Amino acid sequence: MAAHAEVKHDYHLVDPSPWPFVASCFVFLMAVGGVVAMRGVLPASEDPGFWGHIVNTVLVKGKLPLFIIGAAGVVMSAAGWWLDVIKESRKGDHTPVVDIGLRYGMILFIASEVMFFAAWFWVFFELSIFHDVRANWVVPLWEGTDTAARWANWPPPNVETFDPFHLPLMNTLILLLSGTTVTWAHHALQQGDRRSAMWGLLITVLLGCAFTYVQFVLEYPHAGFKFGNNDEISTANLYGASFFMATGFHGVHVIIGTIFLAVCLIRLMAGQFTPKKHFGLEAAAWYWHFVDVVWLFLFTFVYVLPYLTMQE
Amino acid sequence: MVMSAAAPAFAGQPTDGAINFQAPATGSMRQIVDFHNFILPIIVVITLLVLALLAWVMIRYNRWTNPTPRKFTHNTLVEVIWTVVPVLILVVIAIRSFPILHAQERAPPAAVTIKVTASSWAWAYEYQDLGVTVNSNLLPEDQAVAQQRPYLLAVDNPIYVPVGENVQVLISSNDVIHSWTVPAFGVKQDAIQGRTNVGWFNVERAGTYYGQCSELCGINHAYMPIEVRAVPRAEFERWIVEQGGSLEPPAEAAAETAPAAAPAEAAPADAAPAQP
Amino acid sequence: MAADTVDAAHDHRPSIWDWKRWLYSTNHKDIGTMYIVFAIIAGVIGGAMSGVIRWELAEPGIQILHGLPWVDQTDPDAAKHAYNVLVTMHGLIMIFFMVMPAMIGGFGNWFVPLMIGAPDMAFPRMNNISFWLLPASFGLALISMFVPGNGTYPGFGGGWTLYPPLSTSDLHHGGASMDLLILSLHIAGASSILGAINFITTIFNMRAPGMTLHRMPLFVWSILVTVFLLLLALPVLAGALTMLLTDRNFGTQFFNPAGGGDPVMYQHLFWFFGHPEVYILILPGFGMISQIVSTFSRKPVFGYLGMAYAMVSIGFIGFIVWAHHMYTVGMGFDLEAYFIAATMIIAVPTGIKIFSWIATMWGGSMTFAVPMQWALGFIFLFTIGGVTGVVLANSGIDTAMHDTYYVVAHFHYVLSMGAVFTIFAGFYYWIPKMSGYRYNSFLGTLHFWVTFIGVNLIFFPQHFLGLQGMPRRHVDYAEGLAYWNHISTLGYWIAAVGVGIFMLVLIDLFAVKRRAGANPWGEGATTLEWTLSSPPPFHQFAELPVIKPDAHH
Ligand code: HEA
Ligand code: HEA
Ligand code: CUA
Ligand SMILES: [Cu+2]
Repeated sequence: MAAHAEVKHDYHLVDPSPWPFVASCFVFLMAVGGVVAMRGVLPASEDPGFWGHIVNTVLVKGKLPLFIIGAAGVVMSAAGWWLDVIKESRKGDHTPVVDIGLRYGMILFIASEVMFFAAWFWVFFELSIFHDVRANWVVPLWEGTDTAARWANWPPPNVETFDPFHLPLMNTLILLLSGTTVTWAHHALQQGDRRSAMWGLLITVLLGCAFTYVQFVLEYPHAGFKFGNNDEISTANLYGASFFMATGFHGVHVIIGTIFLAVCLIRLMAGQFTPKKHFGLEAAAWYWHFVDVVWLFLFTFVYVLPYLTMQE
Repeated sequence: MVMSAAAPAFAGQPTDGAINFQAPATGSMRQIVDFHNFILPIIVVITLLVLALLAWVMIRYNRWTNPTPRKFTHNTLVEVIWTVVPVLILVVIAIRSFPILHAQERAPPAAVTIKVTASSWAWAYEYQDLGVTVNSNLLPEDQAVAQQRPYLLAVDNPIYVPVGENVQVLISSNDVIHSWTVPAFGVKQDAIQGRTNVGWFNVERAGTYYGQCSELCGINHAYMPIEVRAVPRAEFERWIVEQGGSLEPPAEAAAETAPAAAPAEAAPADAAPAQP
Repeated sequence: MAADTVDAAHDHRPSIWDWKRWLYSTNHKDIGTMYIVFAIIAGVIGGAMSGVIRWELAEPGIQILHGLPWVDQTDPDAAKHAYNVLVTMHGLIMIFFMVMPAMIGGFGNWFVPLMIGAPDMAFPRMNNISFWLLPASFGLALISMFVPGNGTYPGFGGGWTLYPPLSTSDLHHGGASMDLLILSLHIAGASSILGAINFITTIFNMRAPGMTLHRMPLFVWSILVTVFLLLLALPVLAGALTMLLTDRNFGTQFFNPAGGGDPVMYQHLFWFFGHPEVYILILPGFGMISQIVSTFSRKPVFGYLGMAYAMVSIGFIGFIVWAHHMYTVGMGFDLEAYFIAATMIIAVPTGIKIFSWIATMWGGSMTFAVPMQWALGFIFLFTIGGVTGVVLANSGIDTAMHDTYYVVAHFHYVLSMGAVFTIFAGFYYWIPKMSGYRYNSFLGTLHFWVTFIGVNLIFFPQHFLGLQGMPRRHVDYAEGLAYWNHISTLGYWIAAVGVGIFMLVLIDLFAVKRRAGANPWGEGATTLEWTLSSPPPFHQFAELPVIKPDAHH
């Protein structure tokens, strides 16, 4: 049973790897850097010497170097890590049992993502379903405001929601279509038709980019409500915040999914996927479908319903 | 403090070395104490049962008294018993428990309504119908010592309530969350900006009752005490007048408007009564 | 013993001085060891903080906080804030950096693969980032104590629950320390989620041939349930933390009433995570106690299936009781009545566990080795903590107890005696396996008794303080609360001596080097880890063991 014994199982005992440790160091830097950028970890120093200089260039509010170095390092470690995974897969380390493990892993990861979105929907539903209850117990503690009137409706007065049957509907169609194209790619690959698979994937990636373009470039700038606190109707701000956080996080997931699919496209073109073995592509497709389903919920509850109940 | 000399002797505050609740001063608190007197023996017996069973197996089934272990792993009867009996115990507890909650939640018509507003780190009290406003701050240590009043519990301006009458407190906050608490009354309600919570009590015994802020609210969380003096009606009215208030709207009228102000049945949260 | 020496000779175990062995590790046992070392360090730091808390509370008045090096000695507010910071960090450190790493990261990593007959975890490299994210997270939390938090006062002093508006208002916590803490918890959460994915995959996919789910040792079951709770509860916390972050820095008003938001909404999100979290802190302990009780009674676990599914149902019900932490926010009768009923139901499966442990010992042939002492102590003390939980579940009486020391007493009985006792039980049970050496039984027994007396003296009187109305998180208290506070602090000194004895145990263990052999516990120890040498080979089960149907747990 000692280590010199011949290994008689199919599990993958991974070689020692620098990435987890390196990535964690950069995560730490990125977190400190993020706080520096948002708040500044230390007040500006008056000390003209070396430390004062360091403090004033990297630790006071708004300074970005730490964050940038950290983020770049995280991206680099992630890339190095995934490249290692691909190498191991090509070496044949991903035996059938390991492959099943990867599937479990991906499903569970998606399950945790679902719970993350649950938090945002929780807030959104609480605000929208109980707005009239809120109108009753929110007392006008603030001079010159009429809180009850503000909460009388959801979305709050002064919020002009997007017309869901315009750009959002288009985005819905884009995502649904991309869901079919990615399935097309997958089936084509299973049939050994690499050309069609490539087309399917390429179209999916382009549709993903189109979605991002429509959402972030065409739609967001024209919102009839705001994210931050510069809105004079404060409840409108709340609609805006929950809208942008929920759809924004979804948008970020679309971008991640698009990158994931793009990597699969490159790997497909490099001939790394076979009709039998292509879990990377399947995982990307699962992820993509998950993003798709979240969107359907967003479309229904965050776009359509508030639009229907909007006050003129 | 004009009236401190007249303050009744009974004091609702912690007693050194005591091991139980403070003496209850309201019906609600008596209910709580009764419930505790009911549930405490139950949990003590359960704990002692576990202890006794542990002692028994340790004595009877150790390597020396029972060298050969038996190998059984199932016994349906005992498994059913230790599932069903706890369920029954819990049902009994619940039956005793719900009415207390019900009584706390359903504020009866109030003779006096006080709006309590917390801010960091003091309490403001408004007797809205009587036109009296009181700001209560911690009584500094030197003064507390000089006046022989309990430091950290005593305040500079205590509030007064009439004995034997229903008092409703409408609790809110100007900033972070605080919690208005008087242990002897069995009242604890969070003071949350943007909502109004309702508490009520009916003090049965004249006396001075102390409480403290019970939700972490920052640096001086330990330094925003509550002091309520329950006095006979006449004295209460004298105090109101002394504070510049008026008894114009008679207490009966206040009592009549109160039910309308009480939380509506349907509102899931303690709906804020619309303030007249 | 013979197998032992053969293994040692042929096992290509890197030297412990080889830094790459730890930093780059993909070995579940090495990673588990790092987790345990980390937990011990965090436990000592968190324990020292509770020492400062107790010392401060020994008498009325503020006596020692001025003495802390980073606290402005002339400003009483600085000391008061420092107290709040210490309480907050004590709670967070004990929960996130002591109990969780010890139980799940440490014992889980070491023994889940060994017990199911797997050569390692499913994702060995990801396992390592689960660990290394923790020092990053802990570092952020520690830094947060020394950068501006409240005005110029350093650190975040809003309690481990991080309630807004206290945690979001610029007036109270305008400094960077809250932001650092938020990101610290984000990272700790990510670490746990990755760990959860890893454990579930390992348990579902890597059981040895013949090891069906219903033949898994109960410790593995307990970890399985725990990591499911982690996987589903932590992302919700991540969402809530993100909202805190945007409320603080990007002008959203989720929890700001002035903007129409609602601080109570945060409390719902937090406790939706927070309550499952407390079961995360105890379930692995339940698993360890099952193994230990069975081993030292030389008798198989009583009611195995009932035990496993009791944990499953505790985990499930744990998700639907969260608002029992919020009875005083003004929820209304219906909601509170529901949460009373749901909460009390948990006593039933927990009772099944308590009684099944006793039934396991019934008819057994018990020996009282050190792990068994901790296990017996646990069963008794956890029951005390559990039944006070049932009292608290009743909203009517919780009105009087909420945010008093009664609650502090409750949760230290289930944590500082429940969870910590199981950790020590597990530690003494498995340290011969992990290190290859036996501990000194006398020191171990002494450690148990000193800790047992110490923690009871600390926390039993706190029930009295709570009933008398002493609110928690108060830096100072009225004269009328002096007596029991004094006793409680006395108890702390005894418990601190206990931690000192534990350090002696560790030193003795590695200094004296008594060889343990593959199975020091004899016939009662039936799980797979005892079939291996101590310590096990660097990579075990090159040939997978086969589990026969009649094998018992
Ligand atoms: C390991 C952690 C742990 C565990 C296991 C528990 C277990 C339980 N807890 Fe506890 N709890 C905490 C950690 C834990 N808790 C923490 C940290 C807090 C405070 C958080 C904060 O505010 O900072 C808290 C607070 C807390 C509150 C809120 C109090 C307040 O703030 O006002 C409540 C209220 O319902 C509660 C209830 C319970 C119940 C009913 C159980 C049950 O699971 C207990 C079940 C066990 C038993 C009952 C004993 C064994 C059973 C038998 C022998 C069978 C027979 C018994 C009966 C029939 C009764 N807990
Ligand atoms: C697991 C959790 C845990 C543990 C073990 C402890 C242990 C202790 N705690 Fe604490 N405590 C909390 C969790 C915990 N606590 C929480 C969540 C809060 C609430 C915070 C808040 O309000 O925000 C709190 C609050 C709290 C208060 C209330 C403060 C206040 O409200 O003002 C007090 C006061 O006495 C206190 C005291 C102590 C003491 C004396 C110990 C002693 O038992 C300490 C002695 C030390 C040990 C017994 C542990 C030693 C362990 C190791 C060395 C690790 C070993 C590891 C391996 C073997 C792998 N704690
Ligand atoms: Cu106000 Cu605590
Ligand atoms: Cu709970």
